[in-house]
Amino acid sequence: MDIEIIQGIISLLLLILLAPLFSGVVNKLKAKMTGRIGAPVLQPYYELKRLFRKETINASNSSFISRFSPILNFVAVIIAAAMLPVGFWKPLISFNGDIILFAYILGLARFFQILAAMDIGSSFEGMGAAREVTFALFAEPIFFFTIGSIAFVSGAASLYEIYHSIHLDNISYMVFVVICSISIFMLAVTECSRMPVDDPNTHLELTMIHEVMILDNSGFDLFLYQYSGYIKLFIYTVLEISFFNPFGKESYLVYAGIFIVIAFALAFLLGMAETITSRYRMKNIPQYLLFATAIGILNLLIFTFTQ
Amino acid sequence: MNGFFSNTGNILFAAVFAIQFLAIVFTGLKNDRRALYYSNFVLLIGLVSGLFVTLSSKLFFALPTGPQNSLLNNWIRLDGLSFYFLFVIQLAAIPTTLYNFSYLRHYMEKKIGIKNFILFYILTIISTQVIVIANQAVFFLVCWEVMSISAYFCMILEKEKEEVQKGSFYYFAASHVVVFILYIFFFLLHHQTGSWFLSDYHLSFEDGAVISTIFILSFIGFGIKAGFMPFHFWLPQAHPVAPTVMSAFLSGVIIKTGIYGIIRTFLFIKPVPEWSGWLVLIVSMISAVFGVWYALAQHDIKKLLAYHSVENIGIIGIGIGIGFIGSANNLPAVEFLGFGGALLHTLNHAIFKSLLFIGSGIVCQNLDTRNIELMGGLVHRAGYIALFFLIGSVAISGIPPLNGFISEFVIFTGFFSIAGELKNYYPILMLIMVVGLAFVGGLAVACFTKVNAIIFLGSERKEVKHFHTTIYDYLSLGIFAALCIAIGFYPAPFVEIVQRVIAASFNIQPSSTLINMDWFYLSAIFGSIVLGIAALLLVKLWHHKKYGSRVSGAWACGYENLSPRMQYTASSFADEINTISGSILLYNKEIDKSEKPFPTPLKFESHSRDFVDRKLAMPAYGFLKSFISKIGIFNQTDIRYYIAFILIIITIYSLIAFLWT
Repeated sequence: MDIEIIQGIISLLLLILLAPLFSGVVNKLKAKMTGRIGAPVLQPYYELKRLFRKETINASNSSFISRFSPILNFVAVIIAAAMLPVGFWKPLISFNGDIILFAYILGLARFFQILAAMDIGSSFEGMGAAREVTFALFAEPIFFFTIGSIAFVSGAASLYEIYHSIHLDNISYMVFVVICSISIFMLAVTECSRMPVDDPNTHLELTMIHEVMILDNSGFDLFLYQYSGYIKLFIYTVLEISFFNPFGKESYLVYAGIFIVIAFALAFLLGMAETITSRYRMKNIPQYLLFATAIGILNLLIFTFTQ
Repeated sequence: MNGFFSNTGNILFAAVFAIQFLAIVFTGLKNDRRALYYSNFVLLIGLVSGLFVTLSSKLFFALPTGPQNSLLNNWIRLDGLSFYFLFVIQLAAIPTTLYNFSYLRHYMEKKIGIKNFILFYILTIISTQVIVIANQAVFFLVCWEVMSISAYFCMILEKEKEEVQKGSFYYFAASHVVVFILYIFFFLLHHQTGSWFLSDYHLSFEDGAVISTIFILSFIGFGIKAGFMPFHFWLPQAHPVAPTVMSAFLSGVIIKTGIYGIIRTFLFIKPVPEWSGWLVLIVSMISAVFGVWYALAQHDIKKLLAYHSVENIGIIGIGIGIGFIGSANNLPAVEFLGFGGALLHTLNHAIFKSLLFIGSGIVCQNLDTRNIELMGGLVHRAGYIALFFLIGSVAISGIPPLNGFISEFVIFTGFFSIAGELKNYYPILMLIMVVGLAFVGGLAVACFTKVNAIIFLGSERKEVKHFHTTIYDYLSLGIFAALCIAIGFYPAPFVEIVQRVIAASFNIQPSSTLINMDWFYLSAIFGSIVLGIAALLLVKLWHHKKYGSRVSGAWACGYENLSPRMQYTASSFADEINTISGSILLYNKEIDKSEKPFPTPLKFESHSRDFVDRKLAMPAYGFLKSFISKIGIFNQTDIRYYIAFILIIITIYSLIAFLWT
């Protein structure tokens, strides 16, 4: 087998296996910051194990869609993860224009998750679905603006090449990339339903976005949803970490160090955001997202005119 | 020069149309049911054999060039573009005609005469096919008129209803504005080239003013037919009132003749100036974004789908715009991607839009309403219809792995290609376009999750006693759904067809950007998605066996008497997005806020009105009406005045023509 394929498979496996760990780290750090001891770092794995052993209960009015959607969701997220470059290894799936497939395959997962939520026929899920669809609408442009602007600057059209084109030669380019990474972070917060857009730990159905959509899922279905949620958070984290690729050019060891440090820093940031901010009012979330888009536009304009 | 019947292909071609014309004869049968079955069946044979002739034509081997492709003294000419549109028309018409068997039975039960409808339906289908192969300007216009008017006659099947009269009048008026503009268009072309044959129209770059005029005329004329914003206002009025078969054909196929016209004009005047590319691109982007945004605010399923046609025409137009920019800068790679995306999306839209219209027709007929707020839970009544509708919805939202994604992917690649080839300020503009198209995709997801969820999921809001479906429903929806899946999972052959069409009839330098995209790679990824789903399904089955599974009521905070009316509605689902753009959508909510000590029934309504219709078209129409009624002659009821008026107009026209030459 080709060495590139093996590297791709290894990085995909790493992404899938380490994803719950990252969520565990975020929760642990958050607990520490709020003065609690917190659950162990491996808690997400225990939860997945517990969910896997539970009986699956479906709502009485639901159809094939809510049984099918968790599976599709999981597969779509894994396909998206397979397009993600970890370090300098070529991902398993990489071709010209794969950023479009990347965004749209996550769109496929979202499409079916929204349908599955509406499938229950309860207003709780309906509310969550309506919010998800609204915020996703404003979140998608952020991705295209930031990743797209790096792509257009470098002339590349696949995630692997786009991240490869990032370099440290030029100060204004570095500023440009740093601001891009801020936009991506704001996107990650939205897409992975973290504070200040969504509160993963709220106890009230009315204030949830993502959690309320899977309110009536259990057992194997919930296992798949939770797992794909962990992977999705990790995907966006890796998107963020890959901005620091140029620093780890020398060796695998340096790169691994950078990967771990940045991952911890991001977990710290996420935990920090969840400690010091409160959730925005639903009405204000589009403004938050448009703000991130505006940063992207301004950034690209400034960069183009300073060249 | 070979005679008409010297070529087997020509004979076959003539035979196909002869069979289709034969179908008209059977509408003369006395019995409605027989007339329907015989004529529809013959028409189907004609269409299927036509599709085979089209497919087996040289399009797939070597492309037709030279005189042997012209029939009837060059009145009919077959080039790659004609073949492609003929293929699209016939492909979409076959399942639509199949659905006719099922749809018209409903009218027969109500004792509504359907023979005229069938007659005009057949005429519409034949004339639409002839338009794309007509090579003589007057012949083209005659076919265009026949198509427009027969479609109008189909539309007024239930002419006693007031909304039908109003909606079909929009279509009628719009069609005639189109024809009027096309008269001037062809007159100008004839004046420039001295020929009546479309194949002779080649204008050189030097006559800039003429090229601009011709392009503008074509973009307005054909653009009204296609439904670009701001000329789209007739679509959402006409589609809901038309019988479903006709709205499916109108939206899937007839508006594509506008696209055909624009691309044909491009062949006359290429290379086009760059501003024309930008004009098409921006108008199309506006159509796409606002088309889908308006769609989101609709409660009437057919009106919603009509607005989606505006959106998809916009996406096709974006492809054409990219092609124009490529042509202006002499970049064949960009041209292939732009026009390739446009042609592919034309095919794809014809497929999934017909599917969605027919699906909505089945639902509307059974529930006797077009208001989606009254529907719900139909997945438990008609699972396969729900499944097919779902396939269409995923496809139209441009989501992988179905066909909508393929064409949007080509268009996205076109943006990247322009940004790569032309540096300067192009990357930024293209990036804005990319984001715009992604935004359209997001809105389409919002809209089609809404439609699917409200119509098919949850529990029934309106009691349905018996959900009636026939085998024809499943057949026609099944064919469309299979096509959506086939093009999505295995796009390579379809891309190759488009590549050949462009290479042969667009007369540009060959470029392999379109064909060399990673199509097999994409197929492999989609295949692995299916494999992954299958594997997980097995795991799920095993899991259910080992750990058990059951069904229980949904969580409602302990409340048990949930009624279907407590479900989330379509208006509330879309409310957050609609409120943001309220002023453009003319979106208003009426909430009855009576503050009494005890709760009383409350009322809530939300509406969206078309900006162009309300603020531009209707005022203009009102002005015209009041102006004309001031001229005394139009107030006469005596028909002789009108005949005299027609005579005067004809005299004036002839005088102008005489003096001109």
